[in-house]
Amino acid sequence: MFGKKKKRTITGILLLAAAVALSGCSGARQSADNYPTKPIELVAPYSAGGGVDLVMRAVAEYLGKEWGQTITVVNKPGGGGAIGAQYALKEAPKDGYTVLAVNNSNTTMLTAGSKNPAVKLEDQIFGAMIAGDALAYAVKADAPWKDFKEFSDWVKQHPEQLTWTSVGAAGFSSFGVAEWLNAIGADFTKTRMVTSKGASDSVPKVAGGHAVLAVHTVGEMYAMAEAGKIRILAVQSPERSPLLPNVPTTAEQGLPDLAVKWWTGISFPKGTPDAVINKWQDALEKMEQDPVFIEQLRKIHLNPAYQNSEQFVKTINEETARSTEIAEKNGIRK
Amino acid sequence: MDSLNMLLSGFGEAVSPLNLLIAALGAAIGTFVGVLPGLGPTSAIAILLPMTAVIAPDQGIIMMAGIYYGAMYGGSTTAILLNIPGETSSVPTCLDGYPLAKQGKAGAALGVAAIASFTAGLIGLVGLVFFAPLLADQALKFGPPEYFALMILALAVTVNMTGYSLVKSLIMGAFGFLVSFVGLGASSGVPRFDFGIDSWVGGIEMTSVLIGLFALTEVFKGIEEKRAAVKQEKIGRSYPSLAELRQTSGPMLRGGLIGFVLGLLPGCSPTVTSFLSYDVEKKISKNRARFGKGAIEGVAAPEAANNATSSAGFIPLLALGIPASPPLAVLLAGLMIYGMEPGPLLFEKNAGFVWTVIASMFIGNLFLLILNLPMVGLWAKLTKVPFQVMGPLILLISFIGSYSVRNSLFDVGVTLFFGALGYLFHKFHWPVIPFILCLVLGPMLETSFIQSVQISGGSLAIFVTHPISLTILVAAALLLAVSIVLMQRTKRRLHQEGVHELEIV
Repeated sequence: MFGKKKKRTITGILLLAAAVALSGCSGARQSADNYPTKPIELVAPYSAGGGVDLVMRAVAEYLGKEWGQTITVVNKPGGGGAIGAQYALKEAPKDGYTVLAVNNSNTTMLTAGSKNPAVKLEDQIFGAMIAGDALAYAVKADAPWKDFKEFSDWVKQHPEQLTWTSVGAAGFSSFGVAEWLNAIGADFTKTRMVTSKGASDSVPKVAGGHAVLAVHTVGEMYAMAEAGKIRILAVQSPERSPLLPNVPTTAEQGLPDLAVKWWTGISFPKGTPDAVINKWQDALEKMEQDPVFIEQLRKIHLNPAYQNSEQFVKTINEETARSTEIAEKNGIRK
Repeated sequence: MDSLNMLLSGFGEAVSPLNLLIAALGAAIGTFVGVLPGLGPTSAIAILLPMTAVIAPDQGIIMMAGIYYGAMYGGSTTAILLNIPGETSSVPTCLDGYPLAKQGKAGAALGVAAIASFTAGLIGLVGLVFFAPLLADQALKFGPPEYFALMILALAVTVNMTGYSLVKSLIMGAFGFLVSFVGLGASSGVPRFDFGIDSWVGGIEMTSVLIGLFALTEVFKGIEEKRAAVKQEKIGRSYPSLAELRQTSGPMLRGGLIGFVLGLLPGCSPTVTSFLSYDVEKKISKNRARFGKGAIEGVAAPEAANNATSSAGFIPLLALGIPASPPLAVLLAGLMIYGMEPGPLLFEKNAGFVWTVIASMFIGNLFLLILNLPMVGLWAKLTKVPFQVMGPLILLISFIGSYSVRNSLFDVGVTLFFGALGYLFHKFHWPVIPFILCLVLGPMLETSFIQSVQISGGSLAIFVTHPISLTILVAAALLLAVSIVLMQRTKRRLHQEGVHELEIV
């Protein structure tokens, strides 16, 4: 009796293993008409719980229902988003079953910050922009500065005492900080950057007093600000954030020209079949009208910001030019 | 009280049908590999790493945790019935368990072992519920220098974990670091140590290395040893009598407490505590002469101790990121793969995950009691599976597993390479654990070091001027000393019992 049971267990394990292995090689030969025929990996190159990750989880949930296939968000953090991008664009098969989440950090700013970026814009096909958010400046809850202006003055006086977090020298936060420091006339090169893996890594560092400033999106820092662990001094958007009605904008505090903002979208490795990309685009466009999805984004304090492939590429090109200027001026470009 | 609430909501998650199934599956696989010759918990967890990537992180970890403590139960079965300690932590169980089996009391011994394991597992888990959050409360005070110090602490206590020479351990650790450097830099994003080879830029996949070092190496060892099935003793009734339970309740509690308290020390392995508790029972017993000839207390105490240590080991693992034994080192790798970096912040950032896993460990222990009391006879038959069946099967699953992580043949090559290397390490007595640990913790150590010097503007003084970091560094030095003493004692006891070959785990 027991021999039978064991045999069954072993057969089970083998079947499971075979299924895992086979699913890996059958996709490329499938036509795109019935795409997707197996689970899709959506690579988020940042840590779980960050903005990109949360948006992609909402996308995965919507598309999973829409297509009747599992879409798994795989977090591959590190290297300012380069490690996950490298995996999705170079190592994985280009059959539409591995898709990359992009944002400023692993596209425009990476290109601006490096003469030879690990991930190149021309290696990928930009599918669509999905969501956007304003940038916010946060310090420790009991920090001595009463507003952003006072903080800016202190930084101007003591640039060497400013430690700020960023996913990398050419990360999203670096461009925000550089643009701001240029505007207030402080010396960017005297401040100290601390590399972090994303907002969920930087915010505790600021809350614990290990770094002075964190520059991330409102959505990423809202919860910790509400919990009283950090204090948000300014929001960088034309109007005040509905989440933080008491926090003045950077423009209100005398800095009208700060433009860096955050967005996230989807890209595919070059070589992915057109039919697959079109299918994604159509589905994403429909998704952005879906009240359930919009509600999902609201829950993580973000707004839909749909741009189709064409508009998305235009945005990326403009932002790359502007970012390259900031990078060259502040010695970020290496 | 807060942690009790969290635990309750964890139970809410853990009793979902899928989670229950996963916990039961983990417990069953654990018992299976614990009983099966030639496959320990470490290799089982390593093989299953890629498969668990298909399910959600909490389910993956629930399953791997189940395998871990399930194997601790299963290990006692072979120790008692066959006089084969699958793990060194079961050596003390053999001392009295096998004589009992020869006297026809195998069932009673197995029953006591199961009950002792269960009791101690509960002691360990209750401790986990109350201790871990205390550490986690300090979460925000842990910045980069503190994390760096923690990693140093982890390495300091584990270099000595296997009882090999310190120099060999250090060399193996350095080798692990080297391998972890390959690929894109953790904080720079720049490719390095890739020797211009494309497939190296993505880094060496940790899972492939683990499968090679543990699963493949086991197979190679098996081929060399020409493993054969062993004759076993009859089991008899598997429920101990009331008198036997009364006789063993004291040893169980003492063993559980010793196991738990020492298990809180980062890096203290179940082998250390199971020997210690056996010796304590022997010392305080009125009837010392019976020990070694079939004293049932001699089964209860070490079984309780090694399970309490296994449960307690989750405290330093989850709250500090320090694994106390090789299976936990692989489990740590599992957490990292899921992007769950252990450390004080884990309780803050992934509270739901942590408490679901802890709650399901209570459930898993219950499953194990059921699996091991009425069904122990079934498991015992498994020891008869010949290696000719197990060996090829392990090979097959290993290759498929390492291929499936990135759909890459290169990774299968990596597995083969490290399988061969692991065999050589074993043959020439080089410790694998420091290698694994440095490979797993390498990126974290590197990141926290870089962050620290970024904060201090290049000064190394930051590690000693921050009080918490300094305290941890001092503790690392002290623990290293303590572990050297404990390890020497355990080594001596192993030699006294005639065991020279096994690695202490």
